[in-house]
Amino acid sequence: MSDDNAIRVEGLTKRYGSLVAVNNISFTVNRGEIFAFLGPNGAGKTTTVEMLECLRKPTSGKAYVLGLDIEKDKMAIKKRTGVLPQDFYTYERLTVKETIEYYAGMFNSSPDVEELIKLIDLETKKNVLFRNLSGGLKQRLGIAVALVNDPELIFLDEPSAGLDPKARHGVWHLIDGLHKKGKTIFLTTHYMEEAEILANRVGIIHNGSIVAMDSPQGLISNYGKRNMLILKQTSRNAVPNIEKLGIKASYDGTTGDIIVHLNHSVAVSDVLHSLSSSNIPFGELQLRRSSLEDVFLNLTGETLGEEEGAL
Amino acid sequence: MNHVLIDLKASLRSFLRNKSTIFWTIAFPCVLILLFGAIFSYSSVKYDLYLQNQDLVDGKPTYWSNTLINVLNSSQVFNMQILNSTINATDYAVSNRLSSLLIIPAGFNDSANVALLTHSASLENVTFVYDQSTSSAPIVGSIVKSIIENINFQLSQGVHYLNVEDLTIAPKRYGYIDFFLPGMIGVTAMTTSIFTSVSISAQFKQNGVFHKLATTPLKRYEWILSRTIYNVLITFLGTTIMLVLGVAVFSMKMTLDAVSLLMVTMASLMFTGLGMIIARFVKDPDGADAAANVITFPMMFLSGTFFPISQMPIFLQAIAQVLPLTYVSEGLRASMIFGQSGTAILNTGIISALGLLCIAIGSWITKWEED
Repeated sequence: MSDDNAIRVEGLTKRYGSLVAVNNISFTVNRGEIFAFLGPNGAGKTTTVEMLECLRKPTSGKAYVLGLDIEKDKMAIKKRTGVLPQDFYTYERLTVKETIEYYAGMFNSSPDVEELIKLIDLETKKNVLFRNLSGGLKQRLGIAVALVNDPELIFLDEPSAGLDPKARHGVWHLIDGLHKKGKTIFLTTHYMEEAEILANRVGIIHNGSIVAMDSPQGLISNYGKRNMLILKQTSRNAVPNIEKLGIKASYDGTTGDIIVHLNHSVAVSDVLHSLSSSNIPFGELQLRRSSLEDVFLNLTGETLGEEEGAL
Repeated sequence: MNHVLIDLKASLRSFLRNKSTIFWTIAFPCVLILLFGAIFSYSSVKYDLYLQNQDLVDGKPTYWSNTLINVLNSSQVFNMQILNSTINATDYAVSNRLSSLLIIPAGFNDSANVALLTHSASLENVTFVYDQSTSSAPIVGSIVKSIIENINFQLSQGVHYLNVEDLTIAPKRYGYIDFFLPGMIGVTAMTTSIFTSVSISAQFKQNGVFHKLATTPLKRYEWILSRTIYNVLITFLGTTIMLVLGVAVFSMKMTLDAVSLLMVTMASLMFTGLGMIIARFVKDPDGADAAANVITFPMMFLSGTFFPISQMPIFLQAIAQVLPLTYVSEGLRASMIFGQSGTAILNTGIISALGLLCIAIGSWITKWEED
């Protein structure tokens, strides 16, 4: 079947007894984009991605990866995709270089191993055993391993979970580089920042269902709060002054801050100009952008949470 | 087949880089063989016997005292230690905690000559001083007395009316090591194969290696084939080293024929399959080790590895009859040591059938993913 989408999912469902892990979801992933599945642990992200990797059998529904049926063309899908599982692990006593060669052998492919090692910036550690690598380096090696067969589509399941901020940014940089090379990337994450920075489109999954799907900016403008301007150490008189511009402002009695709810019609500079022309002083100024965190809270009534854990 | 070789290479590399695995699969059986071989094989024990000869002329032993010493020596039962003739030997024995001491008194030679001429008992007796609290003293005493009896009998020119001729029924003389080494090969096949396949399966399941492998074109049966070949190779490595030890250290004579090689291969196959079956039902690597120990430990001691099954109580013998390791040990002994080809082929046949069955069930139930 010819298919322009990298992934096409139609009514996919996975049940374990009475538990519905994935509930009748449908979506498409375009070729060349980074698509992120955002949701808390246990939302059904990994179950979905593992059905697409042909590791789990759907209870019902259909899914096509690179135009191939996940239930009928398993081997063809495996050969043309790359997978970074959650917490990548492999033979402990093989070196970085041997690990890449091992997986290349499994795909009967002969990638430029040195080039892959350079890509993940492990040239100085290429003869270090897997067991002696830090968590961040293990994940980076896992990404190199996912590339041995030069895949068209790469699945990254929680690529930066459990990593410290520096290692996390290293992994993001790597993913961004792959995107620029034209790879299609399907990633799951429970870090809203990861989805917001990396993804072209985000699907928010909650209790096995997709509750919203759009670009990060689209989600924020549809479901997030307005951007807010916060004025500190100022006079209460600023409120009527600002409201003359036709936007809402409020005084926070406990902090003494004035919160200005911005909209598209009024720019920050207009607010500042109005204050200075009325000689109203202010000490500090903050601009708070709405984030996917707000979107998630709005849609589900829950926070994403940053706790680590399985699934 | 390419995938199998790649995975096999990775497994062997990992083996060579894991010192504790090398120790348990190779050094440990060797240490056991050297230890048990040394303890049980040299059963021709010699006893310490101290001797003081007071019957000297010009510092040289008299004829009869010298003859007695030579006869005792030629029995090859004793480590003879000669004490100085001038010391008080009994006091010396007490202060030095000697268990057995023989004193030949001065005038022993003359007295013996007189006795021979007059056909009467010698007036001068040799004295056997011993510490009755030691276990060896009574044995030494009875050996010394029987040797002297024999000399008496010879001297009285007694005629041997009845003679006993020794006839051994075994074509060769077998030592403990001949019994132990084939059993130890069976144990190595068992521990290597069960522990490797149980712990690798449990580890790979827990830390997600199976998960990753499942996303590659490597097929489950290719991986199982690679692990099975690996276990067989490691078992043969251990076997070879033990055989070299047996020949070099204990001068064992044994036959390595097709039947014994098939037995080692099939035993490894059977225990690999058994390991995979156990691995299916354990949750984590710790549980896997415990389960493997529960299976291997009783088998090691109840299958006639360290001592013959016939020496065990009847109810344990009945248990031994249902333990597969029993058939491995008996088959290997029959083919390698005793040359009983019928027994060897029968046992190898049983293990081959069990081996194929276990590996088939093991492969069938080994899953990389929980549905």
